[in-house]
Amino acid sequence: MRAGALDEAELLERIKAHDVDAFERLYRLYQPRLARFLINLLKRPQLVEEVLDDTMMVVWQTAASFRGTSKLSTWVFAIAYRKALKARARWPDPVEEEPHDVRVSNDPLPDADLERSRVHDALRQAMASLSAEQRAVVDLTYFHGLGYRDIAEILSCPVDTVKTRMFHARRRLKQALSGTLADWL
Amino acid sequence: MPDPINAAVNPHKEAEELLPWYATGQLDPEELALVDDHLASCAHCRRQLAVERRMIHEVAALTPEIDSGWERLRQRIEPRAQARHGWHEKAAADVAGLWHAFARPHVAAFAFAQLAFVVVAGSVLLSLSRPSYHALGSAPAPRSANVIAMFRADTTEAQMRTLLRANGASLAGGPTSTDAYLLRVPPRSRTAVLAKLRSDGHVVLAQPIDGPGS
Repeated sequence: MRAGALDEAELLERIKAHDVDAFERLYRLYQPRLARFLINLLKRPQLVEEVLDDTMMVVWQTAASFRGTSKLSTWVFAIAYRKALKARARWPDPVEEEPHDVRVSNDPLPDADLERSRVHDALRQAMASLSAEQRAVVDLTYFHGLGYRDIAEILSCPVDTVKTRMFHARRRLKQALSGTLADWL
Repeated sequence: MPDPINAAVNPHKEAEELLPWYATGQLDPEELALVDDHLASCAHCRRQLAVERRMIHEVAALTPEIDSGWERLRQRIEPRAQARHGWHEKAAADVAGLWHAFARPHVAAFAFAQLAFVVVAGSVLLSLSRPSYHALGSAPAPRSANVIAMFRADTTEAQMRTLLRANGASLAGGPTSTDAYLLRVPPRSRTAVLAKLRSDGHVVLAQPIDGPGS
């Protein structure tokens, strides 16, 4: 992880000198993470692409202004979050969730796969029922592995707000998975 | 309903709140010690920790697949990377940038509405102002852009306005995705205006886009 941080610092220095190859490397490092973060906030793949591109454009154009007082990832995610909020103001969430089940076979699933599929469906529905801010906190914590102080900086809110959002989000997720939790203990 | 705001005065609540970041290894040593101490004596929080760890695993498994859009983004940044290395490429990228902007659903919708308005309004104006006869060469030249310019990032709108007025130039379009502006300058004095623009400290780039000209 430390080596990755050093690589990022080096990439940033090269980006400040408008090195496109360095920017491509940074883009490929961040694109999957930002895409996931944004799809949880925006729910529209087309809008995710737009916001992701705009975010990386800001990184490209303002790299020289990054002073290193926070982690690079915190800075990039904070830009993405602000862009996503603006996009959400223009394009509210679709009323109906798009179906997630892409299975084409009607063959019965094995028991283990069936259970896993059921858990994932329940989890997706529970995530969808959270507010965008709660989803952001859950995803930044569980998937991106960020600490609550970094998350507070990204979302531009107090650390207590991050903890509160996570507390209530966890409770909703647990409620949605109440039938499964016993198997996890 | 538990109140996480009061967690600071309740060790159980404080530890329970920190469990997600305990499970992901994101606590500082002091917080880590606090949660460790509490876990040693709280069966409820130990169960919750097991749930947290499973939740991390399951949430991570929900990863959506989104195609990489590097080539799309490259179209937008390439001209900047090659600043001052050829205005042809820059102008082409600006066109691509404008196209990219128009490809966006909300911009496209707005542009379509604008186009519809222009078509209708144009038809009305044309019917009102159509001259009774046409003479060869009497049609006014369209006020299209003949110069592309880029200004320093710290140039204010007032400075830009003053500069354009002083050179008899007007804004025909922009800013593009690369922050370039399309200008219309008097064709006969285009060369002189270009020289004055290029010598101005606020101007990063000024190039003709209607051929070499006079």
